[in-house]
Amino acid sequence: MAGVLGGIYNSIVKRNAVFLTTIFAGAFATNIIFNIGADSVWDQINKGRQWKDIKQRYMGDQEEEDE
Amino acid sequence: MSLTKAATTALRTLPRQPAIRSPAAALVNQQRNVSDASTSHSDFKSPFHRGTTPNHQDTTVIPSFGKYKNGTETGNKMFQYFMVGAFGGLSAMGAKNTVQDFLKNMSASADVLAMAKVEVDLASIPEGKNVIIKWRGKPVFIRHRTSDEIKEAEDFDWKQLRDPQPDEDRVQKPEWLIMLGVCTHLGCVPIGEAGDYGGWFCPCHGSHYDISGRVRKGPAPLNLEVPAYDFPEDGALVIG
Repeated sequence: MAGVLGGIYNSIVKRNAVFLTTIFAGAFATNIIFNIGADSVWDQINKGRQWKDIKQRYMGDQEEEDE
Repeated sequence: MSLTKAATTALRTLPRQPAIRSPAAALVNQQRNVSDASTSHSDFKSPFHRGTTPNHQDTTVIPSFGKYKNGTETGNKMFQYFMVGAFGGLSAMGAKNTVQDFLKNMSASADVLAMAKVEVDLASIPEGKNVIIKWRGKPVFIRHRTSDEIKEAEDFDWKQLRDPQPDEDRVQKPEWLIMLGVCTHLGCVPIGEAGDYGGWFCPCHGSHYDISGRVRKGPAPLNLEVPAYDFPEDGALVIG
């Protein structure tokens, strides 16, 4: 445990530039992951009710002219 | 703990040692020392003594902070840095979303963008004819120029003009001249195929434009403005 924490400390926290970069990269990654997760939860709850789920019922094999 | 106490006692006693002359004096000193409640509560029963159990120690005893000490130094440090970093990351997310929302708010919405473009079928415009269409509330002149007119516009010595501009800077394809139909003087709409130079003539104050839309005579300070346009395919024109 202490070895892992020490490794993290030495690799990330010790240099402030690396620490800040990690924080900003982590913020963007968290944002993206959160958005994808929230979208998937929404799609899960509204399964079968959204246009993309029933689209092929009305559009058939036609070219996608109008969306 | 008791070791610290003993050391403190010794330290306090030590400077007094040279003053001791006789064993009796030493004894007195000892007794005085013992009666000092601030240093040795165990020997002196103070009236305010609270017993010897750990929960009821004498108030003069330095308490143990062992209960509050936990973890290793690295672990504590990493916990603090993690909290700082996590809060910083949350703040960065908030700041990014705020900026993004403002930028989204400022950019044009889809319906506005859809209205901002005009498509024109060029096949319906014969050579040597003008067409006026409306784009963003303003008239736009489209002229299908003949080869004579192209030659005239290109050969003219444009460097002597009030607003010097060569013909190739004003057209993408030489046969199609597309300009905003707003006089650069005071904003009237010029009349096509009129004026002294075979181009446009503004009736309000008599500005003459040539077949490339450049001002040649009259009060107008600039050439007719050329909007952003594109030919996505042959015979089609998109303005905007």
